[in-house]
Amino acid sequence: MNNDKNLNELWSGQTTKPPQIEELFSNFAQIKKKNLATLIAANFLMVATIAFIIFIWFYFKPKLVTTKIGIGLTILGIIVYLFFYNQLIPYLRKINETKSNIEFLKAVIKLKEKQKFLQTKMLQIYFITLTFGLCLYLYEYVSLIPFPWSIFAYLVTLIWIGFNWFYLRPRVVRKQRDKLEGIIKKYENIKNQN
Amino acid sequence: MFEDIYKNYWQRIFRLCMGFVNDKDLAKDLAQETFIVVFKKLPEFRNESKIGTWIFRIASNICLRQIERQKRYPKDELPKNLSEENTYDTEPQIKFLYKCISELAETDRIIISLELENIKQEDIANIVGLSNPNVRVRIHRIKERIRTKFREYEQ
Repeated sequence: MNNDKNLNELWSGQTTKPPQIEELFSNFAQIKKKNLATLIAANFLMVATIAFIIFIWFYFKPKLVTTKIGIGLTILGIIVYLFFYNQLIPYLRKINETKSNIEFLKAVIKLKEKQKFLQTKMLQIYFITLTFGLCLYLYEYVSLIPFPWSIFAYLVTLIWIGFNWFYLRPRVVRKQRDKLEGIIKKYENIKNQN
Repeated sequence: MFEDIYKNYWQRIFRLCMGFVNDKDLAKDLAQETFIVVFKKLPEFRNESKIGTWIFRIASNICLRQIERQKRYPKDELPKNLSEENTYDTEPQIKFLYKCISELAETDRIIISLELENIKQEDIANIVGLSNPNVRVRIHRIKERIRTKFREYEQ
């Protein structure tokens, strides 16, 4: 193993049968179909939730304005999240692969930073709107419950909200942030190899 | 036009991916992903660079992007017989070369793979985004490392 010729020969010795071009296109179609299915599934769940909330509005006919604001806030939270999911994430994924490696890495790092900011912020906003929405929504119905039980209902609700706010929210946000930070660090390391 | 590109470049792109990940199935996936991007972006290709340089740039960037997914398939956790099955038909020396390359730093893997693919150093610099002298020095250093490893391996 003393000359370049040997290295080149060995290198070229690695071959594999290329997949049929039809197979390539069918894989491409499959990926597209899968991405679309995920998008539809996420949208369907969110839209179904919104429909359910609207159904509650019409069925129970809330009298207090707080309930309506609560419902509005909850729906707004879901819509903002949906908008983000449908518009921003695909946009963030679009990176020009035809640039040089260094430019590509810089672009990926920049986009990942942006994604980190948006994703963690978006989750915060989602939690905040849902919490306030739920609090306002419950007010009317809890106020109808007779005295000792209304306190109990508030207590249970507050514990649930507290659990979401102090345990679930930071955990989910941290998990997202850590994951993205790990990826950014990997890219930074590669960039620094140059 | 795409079919010609696919025919002419499949093995070369596959080898580049293989040098990067040293896993036949994964390399095939990455090569396929490259050609899907090539197919999608071909109408945008403006002859500002050579088609080869353009395709290798896409392939190397897709390899780099692979590090995001790597966590999902840690190499060590793959069943042993699977990786053996993948490479049963390859000569030990070839296997060793690809192993050596896949253990290098990511950028070095791309540089040496392109060099062994007989890409001009000027074009390698263009693909990676480094200066010509830098690429030349690196190639020299990487080859030296690989040769040392081979000497140890052959003893």
